[in-house]
Amino acid sequence: MSLSLGKSADGTRRAPGVRLLRRWPLRRSTTISLLSVLIFLALWQTVPALGLMNARYTSQPSAVAIAFAQMLGEASFYGHAWVSLQEFVLGFVLALAVAVPFGALLGTSRQVRLILDPPLMALYIAPPLVLLPILTIWLGIDMASKVAVVFLGAFFPIIVNTGAGMREADPRLVRAAQSFGAGRLAIFTHVLVPGALPSIAMGVRLAVGRGVLSVVVGELFVSRAGIGHLLQIYGSALRMDRLLVCALVVSAFGYALTQLVRRLEDGLRSWRAEP
Amino acid sequence: MSHIQFRDLSVSYRRPKSDERFLAIDRISLDIERGSFVAVVGSSGCGKSTLLLAAAGLVSLASGRVVIDAAPVTGPGGHAAMVFQDASLLPWRSVLGNVRFGLEMRRWKRDDLTERALRHIRMVGLGDFADYHPHQLSGGMRQRVNIARALAVDPEVLLMDEPFGALDAQTREVMGNELLRIWERDRKTALFVTHDIEEAVFLADKVVVMGRDPGRIKDVVQVDLPRPRSPDMLDSETFVTIRRRLRESLAEDMASLRLVTEGV
Repeated sequence: MSLSLGKSADGTRRAPGVRLLRRWPLRRSTTISLLSVLIFLALWQTVPALGLMNARYTSQPSAVAIAFAQMLGEASFYGHAWVSLQEFVLGFVLALAVAVPFGALLGTSRQVRLILDPPLMALYIAPPLVLLPILTIWLGIDMASKVAVVFLGAFFPIIVNTGAGMREADPRLVRAAQSFGAGRLAIFTHVLVPGALPSIAMGVRLAVGRGVLSVVVGELFVSRAGIGHLLQIYGSALRMDRLLVCALVVSAFGYALTQLVRRLEDGLRSWRAEP
Repeated sequence: MSHIQFRDLSVSYRRPKSDERFLAIDRISLDIERGSFVAVVGSSGCGKSTLLLAAAGLVSLASGRVVIDAAPVTGPGGHAAMVFQDASLLPWRSVLGNVRFGLEMRRWKRDDLTERALRHIRMVGLGDFADYHPHQLSGGMRQRVNIARALAVDPEVLLMDEPFGALDAQTREVMGNELLRIWERDRKTALFVTHDIEEAVFLADKVVVMGRDPGRIKDVVQVDLPRPRSPDMLDSETFVTIRRRLRESLAEDMASLRLVTEGV
């Protein structure tokens, strides 16, 4: 596909020198992004090698790659990653299970909204990380406190967006459903829920970022295992290369999950596209 | 006895952001014969849509009653089905899904649902578009779906609230002809709200003119044009006479509106 695009962009009146590039298989925008990354990596590799910067503080791409390969060979790395993953998944699934029904309640009942809205808003704005010391006192320094902080981090974007999605249901659709005799339950399942799905998915997408952040910060605060714990150890040992591997792993995980949810969201939203 | 009876019907709404109420329609009485097509015209704010919503059981009445088939209307989902102006199709459902929706809500039997829906989709000329979603259709096609959805539940009464209001003049005319063609098949009692005088006269057996502040009936005009109607009747003497009378009835309202505007 990119080949044919390149051809049509080339046209027929191109200068002869450009013909060499005609076989280039990537699109222009992809090429530029790729080049910028390559140039950055090259500078990062060479500048410390030339003695212009201290590699102790910046490390080098080659060193990071080697550290990555080493860590993949260490069983303890998987152990730490597994702990963080469990904390994230547990907290996130709990948040989903509680926030969606409560969000629905919030979006459909005026009374519930009046009661819950002010405290929810206050908590939504304050980062749940504020509660980290309290959660640690209550739940200890192991997984439970991190699960709780992930839960809190993911809970608010989901409940708020679920509520908003339901509240913003098109009154014309509700009225049309009513005119055919739809009761409250039928309107909920056939109009409010499908209408709110894109909004719920958006809440979930925002929650992924907050959840990942919560795991890492939770473990950095105090822990005995997890990626955040590794960051603590390598940080105090000044292991730049290994710190960067951890950062890479965390951001790759968050990015992949966010993209996945975005896909889902786009699928759910496709019916909204205007002709 | 008349098929639909409005008796001393009043409906009031709350003004936004206050507890004050105002009368949308004030003690309206109107009889609609079985199998007739009645159009309601009036300037905006005259309560013509409210009249329709009352027949559909979608508003609570301040006083009076609406009787369909000798039974008072107490809520939605009875004998009447409604066609709305626009955007009342579920955007995430296909054409078939939307027509099925009305049947599902009316608890139609499961097994012949799809067949029945498809039959009505073909009837409005959208047989090839059953799998399309509303955003892929033109405004006129969407209104065909709306009509199919209402007719599929086999209502006693068809209520239409400015169904062609959002369409361009050309499409509007086509849809008017199309609606009559479908309506002629089994002549369900129809109540059609519009602000277009020509459309009203072309479609209806009887045109009701409503005035505003508060909403009330100002005039009822019988349309003695033969059926089936055809576009060349738009130039007939009868048509022109009726159109003039309706325009004059409505002119008073327009005059008072103009005064208000100039006062500001």
